Amino acid sequence: MSLLQSPLSRMAKHSTAWILAAVLVVGAFVLNMAASGVIVDIYTYFCINLMLVLGLQIFMGNSGILNWTYVGFVGIGAYASSILSTSPAVKEMAVANMYPSLVELQTPIIPALIIGGLVAAAVAAAIAWPLMRLSNAVGVITLFATLIVIHVLMTQWDNVTNGPRTFFGVEYYTTIFIAAGAAAVTLVAAYYFRESSLGLRVRASRDDRFAAMACGVSVVGVRYYTFILSSFVAGLGGGIWAHYITSFSPKSFYMAEAFVLITMLVIGGAGSISGATIGAVIVTVMRESLRQIEGFLNNSGVIDFQVYGLTELTVAILMIIILIWRPEGIVGGQELRLPFVGSKHRSAESADEASS
Amino acid sequence: MESNSNQVHTLSVTDLCKSFAGLKAVDGVSFSLQTGEVFGLIGPNGSGKTTLINLITGLLPATSGTVHVDETKTTGKPPHRVSRAGIARTFQTVRLFRELTVLENVEVAAVSMGFPRREAVSTAHDLLVEMGIEGYETRLAGEIPFGYQRKLEIARALAMKPKFLLLDEPAAGLNEEESDLLLEQLRTIPLSKHVGVLIVEHDMRLMMNLCDRLHVLNYGKTIAHGTPAEVRTDPRVVSAYLGSAG
Repeated sequence: MSLLQSPLSRMAKHSTAWILAAVLVVGAFVLNMAASGVIVDIYTYFCINLMLVLGLQIFMGNSGILNWTYVGFVGIGAYASSILSTSPAVKEMAVANMYPSLVELQTPIIPALIIGGLVAAAVAAAIAWPLMRLSNAVGVITLFATLIVIHVLMTQWDNVTNGPRTFFGVEYYTTIFIAAGAAAVTLVAAYYFRESSLGLRVRASRDDRFAAMACGVSVVGVRYYTFILSSFVAGLGGGIWAHYITSFSPKSFYMAEAFVLITMLVIGGAGSISGATIGAVIVTVMRESLRQIEGFLNNSGVIDFQVYGLTELTVAILMIIILIWRPEGIVGGQELRLPFVGSKHRSAESADEASS
Repeated sequence: MESNSNQVHTLSVTDLCKSFAGLKAVDGVSFSLQTGEVFGLIGPNGSGKTTLINLITGLLPATSGTVHVDETKTTGKPPHRVSRAGIARTFQTVRLFRELTVLENVEVAAVSMGFPRREAVSTAHDLLVEMGIEGYETRLAGEIPFGYQRKLEIARALAMKPKFLLLDEPAAGLNEEESDLLLEQLRTIPLSKHVGVLIVEHDMRLMMNLCDRLHVLNYGKTIAHGTPAEVRTDPRVVSAYLGSAG
């Protein structure tokens, strides 16, 4: 019986992801009924960010490669889905020089979002193979350079993106339920990916790529497919974000946003889904409360000068403290087990051991 | 992939050379070994033993020469393809997936060879029991005692169901008791798993007890080969290990 886990043990093992996903969805219903508009907005934005962080975790957490390019794929998904979902009349107004073929193109919202994800995945598939051959600092620098390339394309290709100017007129679609649902699905998907055969192999390549090769793992191959999957989630999340924010420009998908997503992941712990989730919660709560404090300080006249950048400064300091104090993040590499489920899990395991 | 238990496989190394700039680390080494056999590779420090293993497993590209598993040429293939041709290995300094659990360490090797997940888990469990590491399945590999880490590396290599198992100093860092226990386990592996074992080890007592044949390297070249009894008395081996009197 110890050979293959009992159903109880297996359920307990995977419970973290399902419980977190359920909490997200229940949270959306409760807040929608009971909370103010501001709280609903913050929660919606948190869910979108969580989805994006989980997408980042799929590649960065499992492969161990710091992925600066990720936010570029969020942008690709945002633009692709917005171009598809926005009506020709609005596009003509919003993007003066848009290619006529793109102006005419329109799909319902769901296909638009999915195609946004697929376009990001296709771009990733086209460029990632040589990038995945690189490791350590060289790999990180190359991915950073790729973000710059994507950013320059976004700011210069004004027939598609409206250049550095704002792309506006995107329809509002992402309600609190859509955001929470998307985050919950991504959470479960990211968890099962981590536990999947591909996830296992890419984690092995993260821990020791030479040993992984010696075990028959095609390190470049497993990284490549993981990168494509992560970029798909980025594109899909970008579309969901775009249909919440409704107007954006290329600078929304650059250093500042990349830093926030990476911070969320690093603070919580890149190696696990629970880490990504806790990181997203901490950074969101900090950002929102610091923003309130900043607003209060600037408007109340308590101090005789204006305070700017308190949020960014604090988040950056938190990141430094975490990296010094606990480089693997608050949760670390292993999934968090909720206490009451953990005890069941342990007893299931010991029952397995006893019966073996 | 899994080898047919009735079939004898051959690992042939032919005139293998590796140069690092001007230094010939491996210089024209040839030998062959078959499944069911324990083949020892010995030589003083820096004689090219580990380099030879790295060449056979594809982690280093050979300057010239070839390696074949049966009729399949493995030289020039990337390491993961060499592994899939039936060559598994362990490392001189233990290289585990430290953030993966003990079970996952073994499981990933089986999965990479194309075994279905369920079968991989079952194989991993069996191997952990055989190697005496049961009870540690859910612990992180980096956290278990060193002696168990050594065994885990061997279990991981065996999970690939290889034709040949290359062990680079498997007893390094083990005490005498652990080393004796390992010796007992290694003695049964060639026949029970139907693999050919190539072993590099400094512990001469272990090598003399374990190996069917020995191959001695010095400065990258073969200086002797034969049974342990023949090699032990070979004057070139004595000279390489103890230094020449003249």
